[in-house]
Amino acid sequence: MIARRDTVRILLRIAFRNLLASPVRTAILGAIILVGSLIVVVGSSVLDSIDRGMRTSIQGSLGGQLQIYDGRSEDQLALYGDMTGESRLEPIEDFAALKAVVAEVPNVKQVVPMGIDQAMVSSGNAFDLALERLRADVRRLEAGEDGPALRAAYAAHKAHVRRMAELLRDELAAARTIIDLEGRDAEERKKDWADLVRASDPAFWDGFDRDRYGALELLENRIAPLAMEGGFTFLRYVGTDPKAFFEAFPLAEVSEGEMIPEGRRGILVGAQYADEWLKLKNARRLDQIKDARDRRGKRIADDEELQRWVRENRSGIREILLQLDPVRAEEVATALRAGLGADAGDDLEKLLVRLFATTDETFDRHHDLFYAVVAPRLRLYLVNVGDVITIKAPSKSGYFSSVNVKVYGFLRFKGIERSGIAGMMSVMDLHSFRDLYGYLTPERAEEIRRMQAELGAREISREDAEAALFGGGGDLVAEGRTGAIDESGLVARAAAPGEKEDLSARVYTREETERGVALNAAVTLHDPRRGAETAKAIRAALDAAGLGFKEVTGPDGGKVRTGARVIDWQEASGIVGQFVTLLRVVLFTAVVIFFAIALVIINNAMVMATLQRVKEIGTMRAIGTQRRFVVVMLLVEIATVGLVFGVGGALLGGGVVALIRAAGGIPATTDMLYFVFSGPALFPKLYPTSVAGSLVVVLLVSILSALYPALLAMRVTPVEAMASEE
Amino acid sequence: MPIVSVQHVSKDYMLGKTVVPAVRDVSLDIDQGEFLSIAGPSGSGKTTLLNLIGCVDTPTSGTVVVNGQDTTRLSERALTDLRLRTLGFIFQSFNLVSVLSVFQNVEYPLLLQGGSTRKERADRVLSLLDAVGIAAYGRHRPSELSGGQRQRVAIARALVTRPRIVLADEPTANLDSQTGANIIDLMKEMNAKDGTTFIFSTHDPKVMAHANAVVRIADGRLAGREELGAAAGAVR
Repeated sequence: MIARRDTVRILLRIAFRNLLASPVRTAILGAIILVGSLIVVVGSSVLDSIDRGMRTSIQGSLGGQLQIYDGRSEDQLALYGDMTGESRLEPIEDFAALKAVVAEVPNVKQVVPMGIDQAMVSSGNAFDLALERLRADVRRLEAGEDGPALRAAYAAHKAHVRRMAELLRDELAAARTIIDLEGRDAEERKKDWADLVRASDPAFWDGFDRDRYGALELLENRIAPLAMEGGFTFLRYVGTDPKAFFEAFPLAEVSEGEMIPEGRRGILVGAQYADEWLKLKNARRLDQIKDARDRRGKRIADDEELQRWVRENRSGIREILLQLDPVRAEEVATALRAGLGADAGDDLEKLLVRLFATTDETFDRHHDLFYAVVAPRLRLYLVNVGDVITIKAPSKSGYFSSVNVKVYGFLRFKGIERSGIAGMMSVMDLHSFRDLYGYLTPERAEEIRRMQAELGAREISREDAEAALFGGGGDLVAEGRTGAIDESGLVARAAAPGEKEDLSARVYTREETERGVALNAAVTLHDPRRGAETAKAIRAALDAAGLGFKEVTGPDGGKVRTGARVIDWQEASGIVGQFVTLLRVVLFTAVVIFFAIALVIINNAMVMATLQRVKEIGTMRAIGTQRRFVVVMLLVEIATVGLVFGVGGALLGGGVVALIRAAGGIPATTDMLYFVFSGPALFPKLYPTSVAGSLVVVLLVSILSALYPALLAMRVTPVEAMASEE
Repeated sequence: MPIVSVQHVSKDYMLGKTVVPAVRDVSLDIDQGEFLSIAGPSGSGKTTLLNLIGCVDTPTSGTVVVNGQDTTRLSERALTDLRLRTLGFIFQSFNLVSVLSVFQNVEYPLLLQGGSTRKERADRVLSLLDAVGIAAYGRHRPSELSGGQRQRVAIARALVTRPRIVLADEPTANLDSQTGANIIDLMKEMNAKDGTTFIFSTHDPKVMAHANAVVRIADGRLAGREELGAAAGAVR
């Protein structure tokens, strides 16, 4: 078909020449298409990169590729919580049974038990810490130890507590002017005041060594409660098998300290959580100011928030003063005097105020001075590696329960350490979680067995209990709660906290860990791309094992759901997972609006062009050109513009993407963005799908916008050629 | 058998709600090889009659048979094909495709026809450009040519497919009289050489004088046919 090829050539020739014949029109249409294509390419490549970032963040930190939870649950599993807090889930009663089925499904790499919840951590107070050190010294002295080093430490620690008592007295003296000494608690307050006066009296300290334990008792029982700055903070944790967790989630790493030894109880505290909630406030604010200045280019001089932090730091030095014993206080004061070039007469308080009253000019120097001189002498974090912390939570049945767990280290997620979403998460062993949540642990089960044996109790099911005891109907049984809940244990522990055997030394087998309750199970896959397919296979396997999700209509007409529900990571990550979808909707809407406008403009221009060429088209029709040819001619013309400028826009988009990468990516200015970008900056990548997508969109829009003009052109009759006017 | 046979043809146009009759009950036979002029004042219906013969318009009533085909029975597609293969057109305002060169304008109908090699087309186009005397302007754009030169290109384009009939609507109206005369001479030369039937409209008596017959039309009606002499290419 030589002629066919020649026809195509003449079509292209006419199209090109027509485009060149009206350069302004072509340039305008081209620019619109170019910009559209640019938006699509850059937008979709940024979005795809965000998508990838989120995928990395979620899959690598908590989500895995699939999640399984109990179908009876009221809420849907939301790994990162939802608007109302943690999702309320019914437990998977026997994780081991679930794992046995799921692990056999092809492509499944790991099945990790999880229980995500929030708990309260006592953040302690500086007075307690100072007293604790003093008590240790006293214990050693009373035991007969002695030596210059111990004596020096003892003197320093004693002086520290004394100083704190004096500070507290001064504070209360100021407060006495405003507190009510006539009311109901007046007697109590007067007694407090008397105790404080006594504890800060030189005579008390002179006589300290005569009755060390007696003096300590006054300080511990009467004075410490008055230093009330300690409180609670909320800790978000995932109870899991730490070893399996670290194997499954490659982003997790121990940033300080060590991994929880296999089978042990313990906790790895989220590093960012520690920074935000457990770090000395003044140090934390210095970090924040530094970060804002270095990473976000903010300046103290013109940023209201930074100015507030500086103000808060100036007035927040009490915590530091309390922490420093007189020896250290003097060391700090000397070093600060030199560092700040201050007078010999300035006391520590004045020096600290000066240190924290930073401007843009002095900030970096003062920041470094703080970390070089002050920080090493402070307890910067309320919780340190090796500490045993008490965490409390309302358990499933409403009782408050608490567990002591050893802090083995701090946890961070590579690349997304700063993200508030992942960085806040701590990892705790599953047994402590079960204790806290109120589920049967091997110890409780053992204890109950022992007690049953001793008392000759016989095992009866909950439902039959009343009948067995009273011989009546079972209607009054309160809630059909799961038998895995250990209510009696909870009551006992709530009544007598702390009276527990030391569980921190016990090593659990993996079998013990897995045989029991978990709230959800994260599933990682060998090939993450085959998620949907594997989810289907898992559902089938669960169905076959009688564990699958079922929804039936119950006797009262309500829906009854049972079995294990399998969802993908995106669904499991709740509102966080929908972020990308939201962004896509935004981009899509913007693109649709842009191209709708483009469509109108291109359409208009092409209609004008067609009307200008009526005579020419008429002539072509008269001398034997078929209608089809005329239509194709117009479409080729606009498609040529679309293709040329679409490719141009895509190339330009590629250039923009490369430029963004060369300039260091799009910086993550908020902690949320850290998570979304899976790192401190987003490096958009040009995916072939973005380019192909943009070209398809551009071509489609071009052709759509040429359809009406083409219809007009088709309607041009050869008679138009005969019209005599030029 | 005449190459064109017009029988009782009427053509009405709608102008708003009033019917404007452009051609009324015209019957006319034209033989192969004629060099026929359709004459009449402006608005008399010359162009409409030419359009009907040229298959660019269809009659309200009556039949038009061109080269043995009843055009009133042909589809739009077939009519287009008939125009491409049997007819050639020369327009009053030349109507060249402005973005194509002289050569490409003349080659265009051959491309639409298909079935020819590039060499065949080039030979045909060049020989025609030579015949109409503008061989030197093949690469020029129409806008670079004078009116007379453009009409020569149009004649070449009309003849390139070796049509049996060439229709020309006031081919000299936009030309000065000397150039117009030359164009008529050229058309006549082509008529004589290949026996192509030429039907052209004009209201210029000097142009009419070149025709072998003049068909006069007034108010849409045929006012008579006047034989001026045997056409050079006539095959009666």
